[in-house]
Amino acid sequence: MTDISYLAIGPVIALTVGVLAILLIAVSFKTDERVLGWIAAASLLAAFVLGVLQWVEASDNPTTRFNGMVALDPFAAFGAVALAVVGVVALLVAWPLAVAQGKRIAEFLALILLALAGLILMAASAHFIMLFLSLEVASISLYVLAGFSRQDADGNEAALKYFLLGSFASAVFLYGVALSYAATGTLSITGTAEFLESNVLLESGALMAGIGLLIVGLAFKVSAAPFHMWAPDVYQGAASGISGFMTAGAKIAGFAALARIAVTSFNPYIDDWAPAVAVLAALSIVVGTLLALAQSDIKRMLAYSSIAHAGFILTGLVAGIDGVPFIWFYSVTYAFQVLGAFAVVSVVGGPAGTRSALSDYAGLAQRAPVLAGSLALLMLSLGGIPLTAGFTGKLFVFREAVDAGYLWLVLVAVIASVAGLFFYLRVIVLMYMHPQAETALEPVAGDSIRIALTFVAVVTLAFGIVPGPLIDVVTSALPL
Amino acid sequence: MDFPILSALVWLPVASAAIVVGLPRRRPELVIPVAFGLSLITLGLAGFLVVDFTAGDLGFQFVERTSISGDLGIDYHLGVDGISLFMVALTAFLLPLSILASTSVEHRSKELMASLFLLEGALIGVFLTLDLALFFVFFEVLLVPMYFIIGLWGGERRLEAALKFFLFTAFGSAFLLAGIIFLSVQANDQLGSITFNYLDMLDVELSRTAQFWLFGAFGIAFAIKVPLFPFHTWLPDAHTEAPTAGSVILAGVLLKMGTYGFVRFNLNLFPEAAVELAGFMAALAVVGIIYGAAVAIVQPDLKRLVAYSSVSHLGFVVLGIFALTSQGLEGGILQMVNHGLTTGALFLLVGMIYERRHTRRIADYGGLQKVMPWFAGFFLLTAFASIGLPGLNGFVGEFLILLGSYSRFPILAVVAAFGVVLAAVYLLWAYERVFTGEPDREENQNLRDIGLREVGILVPITALIIFLGVYPKPVLERIEPAVEQVLERIEQRTDFESPLRLDDIAEEIR
Repeated sequence: MTDISYLAIGPVIALTVGVLAILLIAVSFKTDERVLGWIAAASLLAAFVLGVLQWVEASDNPTTRFNGMVALDPFAAFGAVALAVVGVVALLVAWPLAVAQGKRIAEFLALILLALAGLILMAASAHFIMLFLSLEVASISLYVLAGFSRQDADGNEAALKYFLLGSFASAVFLYGVALSYAATGTLSITGTAEFLESNVLLESGALMAGIGLLIVGLAFKVSAAPFHMWAPDVYQGAASGISGFMTAGAKIAGFAALARIAVTSFNPYIDDWAPAVAVLAALSIVVGTLLALAQSDIKRMLAYSSIAHAGFILTGLVAGIDGVPFIWFYSVTYAFQVLGAFAVVSVVGGPAGTRSALSDYAGLAQRAPVLAGSLALLMLSLGGIPLTAGFTGKLFVFREAVDAGYLWLVLVAVIASVAGLFFYLRVIVLMYMHPQAETALEPVAGDSIRIALTFVAVVTLAFGIVPGPLIDVVTSALPL
Repeated sequence: MDFPILSALVWLPVASAAIVVGLPRRRPELVIPVAFGLSLITLGLAGFLVVDFTAGDLGFQFVERTSISGDLGIDYHLGVDGISLFMVALTAFLLPLSILASTSVEHRSKELMASLFLLEGALIGVFLTLDLALFFVFFEVLLVPMYFIIGLWGGERRLEAALKFFLFTAFGSAFLLAGIIFLSVQANDQLGSITFNYLDMLDVELSRTAQFWLFGAFGIAFAIKVPLFPFHTWLPDAHTEAPTAGSVILAGVLLKMGTYGFVRFNLNLFPEAAVELAGFMAALAVVGIIYGAAVAIVQPDLKRLVAYSSVSHLGFVVLGIFALTSQGLEGGILQMVNHGLTTGALFLLVGMIYERRHTRRIADYGGLQKVMPWFAGFFLLTAFASIGLPGLNGFVGEFLILLGSYSRFPILAVVAAFGVVLAAVYLLWAYERVFTGEPDREENQNLRDIGLREVGILVPITALIIFLGVYPKPVLERIEPAVEQVLERIEQRTDFESPLRLDDIAEEIR
C-alpha cells in the first residue's frame, strides 16, 4: 500500500480538520462565534491552497491514487479550487443565518464544511464506490442543513422531502453502479473506459441500463427534469441563507461527477447516451422555464430557474469531452450567480425566512439601491444578457452542442432563454419601476453579505467581459 | 499605431456614462450641460471620421483587431465602410439633441443620461464591429438601457411597452444567436479554426438549404428590429411610451440596426438565399409601406402617427435594399440616414408641444400656427422632408429607391409610390388639424413659441435635412463603393445579374 498521496485528498483533509476543530472547540470552550467562523474560513483557505497545489502537481502528470480510488488530475483540482471559493462565498452569505443559530452555530458551520468535503471528493472520485460515498457525505449534510431549524415546519418538510427523494435517487445510482459492474467487471471509472475500449460487448443491455440509471441518479442530484420535483419545495423550504449553497454546491459537484463518468467511463458509448442527455436537457430547459414563469415567490422562481440552468449545462454535455470545459465554466459562474441571488433574498426576507413573495421586491431600488443593483445584474446574467458570465457560458455550451450536431436542442434552448427573460425582467421591473409598498421594511445587508455580493458581481461581470482567463484554465481541467 | 478612433467612438460614450453617474448628487443642474458637452466630443470624433474616411476606397477602413478570447475565435475587431459610416455619424449626431430635449426630466436625470450614453456606445459598437459574437453582444446588450429608458421615464403604459419591446426583440435575437453559432461551426469545419470573424465568414461556402435557414434566422431578428410587417406590433407602443429622447434614438438609429443587418449579413453572407427571397422581402416591405401609412392616417395620437409613419418609411428602405440594384441599395442606405433625421426631428417636435400641453391627442390642438409660428414652420418643413418633397433629403432617398426597384419589381415600385401620396395625407392632415384654423381652445391660446434651446435643437437637424436634399454627393460617394462591393459579391456567388450597375466602380472592384 504505497499508493497513498495526502495531496490527493488534501482539500478534504483540510475541511475535515476544520470540522473537528470547530466541534471540539465549541464543546470545550466558551468561544465567540467569530472564532468559529474564522476557523471555517481558514480551513476553506487551506482547501483552496491545497487545490491549487493539486493543480500544479497534476497538470503535467494526471494520475489516480489510493489504488485507483481518488483521482489526482486537473479536473479534480479545479473542482476543489472552485468549490472552496464557492464555500467561502456561501459562508459569507450564510453568516447572518449561522449567527442566528446561537449555540448550534458549531454544528451549522461543521455541516457546511462537511458537505463541501463530500462535494470536493465527488469531483475527485475515480471509483464508483468512492463516488457513492462522497455523494452520500455531501447529500446527508445537505439534508440536515435543509431542515436545520427544528421549529420551522417548512424547513422540516423540505428536509424530509429532500431526504426521502434523495435516498431514492442514491439507490437508483447504486443500482446503476451494480449494472455497470455486471457488464464490465470493474468499479473503476477509468477501468470501465479501458474495458469498454478493448472489448466489444455482445449484450450491451445491462450496460445501457446501468448508464441510464447512473445518469438518472445524478440528474436527480442536479435537479434536471423530469427528476426535479423536489427542488422547488426544498429550495423554498430551506432557510434563504443556505438555499443558495445547496443549489450551487450540488450543481458544481453533480455535474462534475456526471461529466467524469459520462466522458471517461462511457465515452465509447457516447452515441447511445448523448441523445438521452439531450432529451433531459431540453425537458429541463422547457419545464424549468415554463414553471418559473408562473411563480409568485422568488425562491421558487429561482428553484425553477435552476432546473432550466441544469438543462443548459446538460446542453454542453452532449458534446462529450469537448463540452467539459464549458460545463465547468457554466456551472461555476452559475453557482456564484445563484449564491448572490439567494444572498439578496436572505436580506430582504430575513436569513431564516423560508418564503419570499415577489411583491416584497416592489420599489426595492429606492429602499436598497445596492441590493437591487446586484440582484438586477444577477437577473440579467441568469437571463443570459451579453457582457455577463451568464451569456458567455450559454454561448459556449450552445456552440459545442451545435458542433456535436444538436442544432434542435440549441434552438429549443435559445427560445426558452427568451421566455426566461420574462421572469428575470419581472424582478427588475418590480424593483425599479413599481412604487414601493407602504409597509415595506428597509433591508440592511450586513458586511459579510456586502462582501459576498461585491465578489459575485465582479465575477459575473469579469467573466462576462473577459472570459479568456477562466476559459484557459477550464480547457485544461479535463478528467483523466 | 494610429489613434484608435473607432474604439474611441465605442468607449467614449461608455466613459461618458460613468462620468455622468459620478456627478455629485447635490448639483442636479450640472447633469445636462456636462452630458451635452461629452456627447459633443463623440460627435466631433464622428465628424472627423466622416471627413477622414476615404471616399471611393473599397473595403473596411480604420480597422482595429485584437484577439480577446484566446482560442475561442472571438476578436475585438472594428472597421468602418460606407454602409456603417453614416449610421455611426447619425447616432453621434442625434445624441446631443436627445440630451437637450430631456431638460424637462427631473426624476433621476443622471441615470437617464447614463442610459443614453450606454445606448450610444452599444449602437456604435453594433455598426462598427466585424466579429459576429461581438456584434451579438452589442446588439443584445443595448436592449438593457433602452428597456430602462422606456420603463423608467416613459408615458403611462410604459411598463407594458418596455416589456413588449424587450421580449419581441430578444425573441428575434434568439434566432440570431442560433444562426451565428451555426455559421461559426460551419466556418470551423471549412476553415479549420474556430472563428466568429465576419471577413472569414465571407469565405465560407454554404449550401443552398443552409443559406435559407440562416437567412431566416438572421432575417427574423432584423425584421423585428426594422420592423418589417408583420413583426411591427411592438413598435407603436414602444415609440409612443418612450420619453422624447428614447423615441428619437429608437426611431432614429435603433430601427436601422435591422436594415443595416440585412445589408451587412443577409446580402453578403447568404447571397443565394437573398436573391431568391428578394421578391418576397420586397413584397413584405411594400405591404408595410401601405399598411403603416394607412394606419398612420387614422391615429388620433400625434406620437403614434409618427411611430406608424416609421413602419411605412422603413418599408421603403427594405424595398430599396432587396431591389439589389445600385440605386436601390444606395437609396436604401441614404434613406436610413434621412429617416433618422426627419423622424428624429418629428419626435423632437412632438416632444416640444407635449412638454407644453401634456397631451398627444391631435383633437386637443388646433390653430397653433397663430400662437407658435416658428414651431409651425419647423414642423411643416420636417413634414415636407418626411413626405419627400424635392429639395429636401427624403426626396433623394425615395427617388433612388423607386428608381432602383422599378427595374426589378415594377408593380411593387408603383404600389410603393402610393406610399408617398399616403404620407402626404397623414402628415398634412395632421398639420391641418394641429396648426391651422383658430386656436379656439383656451389652453392653446397662450402657448409659448420655441425658445433658444429648442431652436438650438431644431436648427442643426433642419440644416442637415436641407443640405442632404440639395447636395447628397458627399454621402453618396462614400456609400457607393460599399454598395457596389455587395452587388459584385452577389453576382459572383450567384447567377444573378443586377440591372443598372455603376460600371466604373464595378470595374475597379474586379
